[in-house]
Amino acid sequence: MAILAAAPLILVSAANAGELKSFVRGSWRSIVEAHAGRPVIIHFWGLTCGPCRVELPAWGKLFAEKPDLPLVTVNADMVQDAPEDAQEFLSKSGLSNAENWIFDGSFVERLRYEIDPKWQGEIPVTLLIGRDGVKRRIEGSASMPEISTWFDEEHKPTKK
Amino acid sequence: MLWPVFIAALAVFAASDAALAEMSHEHHQARETCAGLSLACAGTVSPAFAPDGALWIAARVNNQIFVAKSVDHGRSFTQPVVITPNSVTLDRGADARPKILIDRGGRVIVAYATVRDEKRNGQLFYTRSTDGGKTFAPPQSITADIESQRFIAMAIDSDGSIFSAWIDKRNRAIAREKGENYAGAGLAFAWSRDHAVSFSDASIAHEGTCECCRIAVAFAGRGCPVLLFRNIFDTSVRDHAIMTFERPDKPGSVNRVSDDDWAIDACPHHGPSLAVARDGTYHAAWFTAGRIRKGLFYARSINGGRSFSEPVAIGDPDHAPGRPDLLGIDGKLYLAWKEFDGDHTSVMTMVSPDNGKHWSSAKAIATTTEDSDHPILERQGRHIFLSWQTQKEGYRLLNLKNPS
Repeated sequence: MAILAAAPLILVSAANAGELKSFVRGSWRSIVEAHAGRPVIIHFWGLTCGPCRVELPAWGKLFAEKPDLPLVTVNADMVQDAPEDAQEFLSKSGLSNAENWIFDGSFVERLRYEIDPKWQGEIPVTLLIGRDGVKRRIEGSASMPEISTWFDEEHKPTKK
Repeated sequence: MLWPVFIAALAVFAASDAALAEMSHEHHQARETCAGLSLACAGTVSPAFAPDGALWIAARVNNQIFVAKSVDHGRSFTQPVVITPNSVTLDRGADARPKILIDRGGRVIVAYATVRDEKRNGQLFYTRSTDGGKTFAPPQSITADIESQRFIAMAIDSDGSIFSAWIDKRNRAIAREKGENYAGAGLAFAWSRDHAVSFSDASIAHEGTCECCRIAVAFAGRGCPVLLFRNIFDTSVRDHAIMTFERPDKPGSVNRVSDDDWAIDACPHHGPSLAVARDGTYHAAWFTAGRIRKGLFYARSINGGRSFSEPVAIGDPDHAPGRPDLLGIDGKLYLAWKEFDGDHTSVMTMVSPDNGKHWSSAKAIATTTEDSDHPILERQGRHIFLSWQTQKEGYRLLNLKNPS
């Protein structure tokens, strides 16, 4: 746990896409810092969450359409998922090459608190962080057309 | 004025904590690496006091549930007796926990939920012991239709009948076969009139409830259970509703507890708590992240649940207050919940001297810095106890009331 918690920021580079990384204390900060100044989409999901299982393939489809989509997935299931099961579902959903994380350990309150002190773990949840750092939170299933529009807007060169 | 009572009670239990630490020497070990069938390895511990004052627990350790008894307020327990078969996968969701009841005859009744397939459909089982917890009958399914069930609630009526309610997806499956939409799940119930030898055929009391939150049960009178549950209003608003049975076999109308407007197509995994006081007042505590209000709330009803008072926010909204538990005794009402400040998880409590009209300020009565179970209030005679399992400290039983 301590080794993972101290993992350097390079872990979240695109070079590590496809690897399911352990989300421990400090991981949230490393994700945010690694994407600072650029738009990023962070999607929280879980295998025991019915709406998540419906939604994740839609993310996979969008990811296929927009390979440069800055998508980070975090498996934050209330019932701790086995990493191999999570990886398998990510692969089936076409998200093997996204930046994928999974909550590590049973003390998930501590991990959630670093993300949002008021978040009590309901999923699916998606956070959109613009390149100006402005955060938008989507509770429940996200609309892929809206995500696509947001991403395109964020990529406009005139956006300040 | 009320808190010196709490402090005195905790001082009494300082010695208990020391005894527990000695008993549970393994408890600094991370639970996921615990191999033994011990209380120290339990992730979830459900308590119940027997009429003779003994404390019973049903504890989950990985995919096993064991039952044990304590006659010294949790300082020591009998050898654990496993009630689950081998190779079963238990429901380990945030709101899933075994239920344990001790009836007047000393029978120990336990119910629990399993995950029975890769699609995570659930099945509920119950068992009982008639020899003081030495042996348990082979677990039986609570209902013949095992499409999918979760979150069993059980309570003993004043005549000894056992009421059981749970989340049931049988009609959702039928609707989907017909190509029809069906949001959520059904609220099912059954009665046992033979001390948990068997349960009646299941009936559906209400359709379209949230499928991923525990439900709360209490009695408004003999044969009149009250259910508090997260309902689905419209198509996706997951706010709380309450139902009082008109007769044992006749569910009553569904009334909204609070218009929080939590429109979410997701799983809150965060169910409510309910108490019905001797004066007939209803008391509800629940978590919401709705558009109208967010956080932990309390409200009371003086008309049998037809309407509720304006919700009162509970706890520090910046510390994720949640997992409420309400318990009433002798006109007083106790409320416990959890908060987390980034380092410490605390069990907070408040007490109302007048059945919810007024409340004391909130106080932390126990803390931990590692993972922990939900706080549970249990009554033994005129005493109220907090039962709390934590990874670091092990099992704790704290007396909240020390009557003079």
